[in-house]
Amino acid sequence: MWKKKKSQPVHETEYMGEDLIKLVDMVKVYDTGTIKVLGLHRVNLTIKRGEFVAIMGQSGSGKSTLMNVLGCLDRPTMGHYYLDGIDTANLEPDELSTVRNRKIGFVFQSFNLISRTSALKNVELPMTYAHVNQKAREQRAKELLERVGLGTRYEHMPNELSGGQRQRVAIARALANQPPLILADEPTGNLDTASSVEIMELFSQLHKEGATVVVVTHEEDIAAFTERIIRFRDGKLVSDTKNKPQIQTEEEAVTMQKEGSHAD
Amino acid sequence: MLIENMSMAFHAIRANKMRSFLTMLGIIIGIGAVIAIAAVGDSMRNLFTDAFKDVGLNRAAVMVSWEVDDFRMSDQFTRAEMDRIKDIFSDRIEYIDSNASNKVEAVNGRRKVSYQFQGVDYNYTDVQPLDIVYGRFLNESDVKGAANHVVLEDKGAIKLFGTADSVGRTFRMTLNKITQEYKVVGVYHKDMSPMVAMMLGNGQSQSGFIPDTVLTRSNDTFQAVNLYSRNGTNMRQLTVDLKQYVAKLKGRPESEIMAMSAVDQMGTMDAQLGTMSAAVGGIAAISLLVGGIGIMNIMMVSVTERTREIGIRKALGARTKDIMIQFLTESALMSACGGIIGVILGISLVKIGGTLLKMTVVVNPAVIVLAVGFSALVGIFFGLYPASKAANADPIEALRFE
Repeated sequence: MWKKKKSQPVHETEYMGEDLIKLVDMVKVYDTGTIKVLGLHRVNLTIKRGEFVAIMGQSGSGKSTLMNVLGCLDRPTMGHYYLDGIDTANLEPDELSTVRNRKIGFVFQSFNLISRTSALKNVELPMTYAHVNQKAREQRAKELLERVGLGTRYEHMPNELSGGQRQRVAIARALANQPPLILADEPTGNLDTASSVEIMELFSQLHKEGATVVVVTHEEDIAAFTERIIRFRDGKLVSDTKNKPQIQTEEEAVTMQKEGSHAD
Repeated sequence: MLIENMSMAFHAIRANKMRSFLTMLGIIIGIGAVIAIAAVGDSMRNLFTDAFKDVGLNRAAVMVSWEVDDFRMSDQFTRAEMDRIKDIFSDRIEYIDSNASNKVEAVNGRRKVSYQFQGVDYNYTDVQPLDIVYGRFLNESDVKGAANHVVLEDKGAIKLFGTADSVGRTFRMTLNKITQEYKVVGVYHKDMSPMVAMMLGNGQSQSGFIPDTVLTRSNDTFQAVNLYSRNGTNMRQLTVDLKQYVAKLKGRPESEIMAMSAVDQMGTMDAQLGTMSAAVGGIAAISLLVGGIGIMNIMMVSVTERTREIGIRKALGARTKDIMIQFLTESALMSACGGIIGVILGISLVKIGGTLLKMTVVVNPAVIVLAVGFSALVGIFFGLYPASKAANADPIEALRFE
């Protein structure tokens, strides 16, 4: 921290295998003290580089637990989770932090931007923890904000941005360290339909540019943007199907938005 | 990263200005008190040193203790005894007198001025140099011949004659019940700060010198012998030897003889000053402790309030150390800010006080550096627990925090 470490190119990894995510007999048990709750039951799952995947399930299905494990916020109780070739099962909390920093770009339902901190500084944050120098950080953050369509709002505070804009800042932040995995937890849960469509299109765009995107959601509309839908129920993987993304153009998105408002 | 942490900490402190200020208050008061006390202590020490320079650093006195129950006339010193003491210790004593002084009213026509006259020998100025501005000091013939000559301080001369240059002027006063005319042979000037004058207690009367042969009669006896040692004399040894000699002379045990020197007195005063400083310093330390606890308390609140932020930071890759340093920087900075404000407050208070008392105030720069550094340390120490609480938070729990 005090010594300036030489910043490394964060996208470089030794493991360049096809499987980005590999869960092997992964079990997650929550020990609440008196009773043990089975969160996930023997999950075997492989996600390849460049896939666009939706993980679906009702609340209590175990999809949040899976999200925590995939996001390296939590470790599996049994079995293995290989992320980009790294077995996370035996990593210390600080090592998990480093893995999160380099390998995962998070997008949360409630945006989770740091308040009273400018959009630019928020995007810079993962790079700060990766010890990227100030100048490079700022330049990259500006590029990313431009890319998500917020090129004029560097200095805005989160509370000066709309929900959709905040989520764009969060996506820019998720891309900061060029992580191999973009992990989005209900990214449209707090957004109106129009913003939801914009955000999902942004993910589609990233996917087309080669990013691996995993979206955890309970909304079919959202899952419909992805190419593969994995369903969970009661802590078990119940189905894993290919999906042909339906809505891809802005025109169609507008149609969907209208349908959505009719349905209300 | 350090700069990053500093700016984050500034941000956090500024975000809650009032709260941060109230939290700092303990440190502000503590450090302000420390600075003020240190400055007062240093200034007092300077003042004492000045005062003692005025009295004479090589001055000593010997007498039979006034605490003895059976005080006898023979316990007083005669002029012959004083001369004998001077002879015996002539290698170490340069000047000796009875320390006689008398408060009398000098009359010049309608002007009446109260004077405190000190009876001295002609070589007094050898041990206590005087700045003679007009005329001369008392000479050998003045003293030996018991001439009615005086040397006045310029202030007193102006009061009595309307002019400082009053050499050759005469006035009347009653000494030993005889009213006579006295002549001014010299005028001296003395620079003395009001505080020193107050401490020496001659604020009311004017001062002047008169031959001790005029002030006292040859058969008078004196309670104490007042002396000035030669340069380089070991004062402690001199007082011990004097005590021994006077005990033998007066036929009393040594415990009933008092011998003291200015140097000893100054040491005692210094020790008293030190005790006072330590006592008030202790209170300041308590204030700093309470201030530190205040910081700890508000940091705990801040950590709880910002649980979600901590969760976000951890999710984005902050390690335990990163969060720890972030919060430690914040508490250290808050405390150091309090320290700096405290230093400013302390110095201003002392400067204002010094101006009111017309005292020169000394502020030691080392004390300032020490105070600010120490307050930062207080911040780090009391920030440790909250910071480690933040650093060890579980990211999942923290992210879920509303």
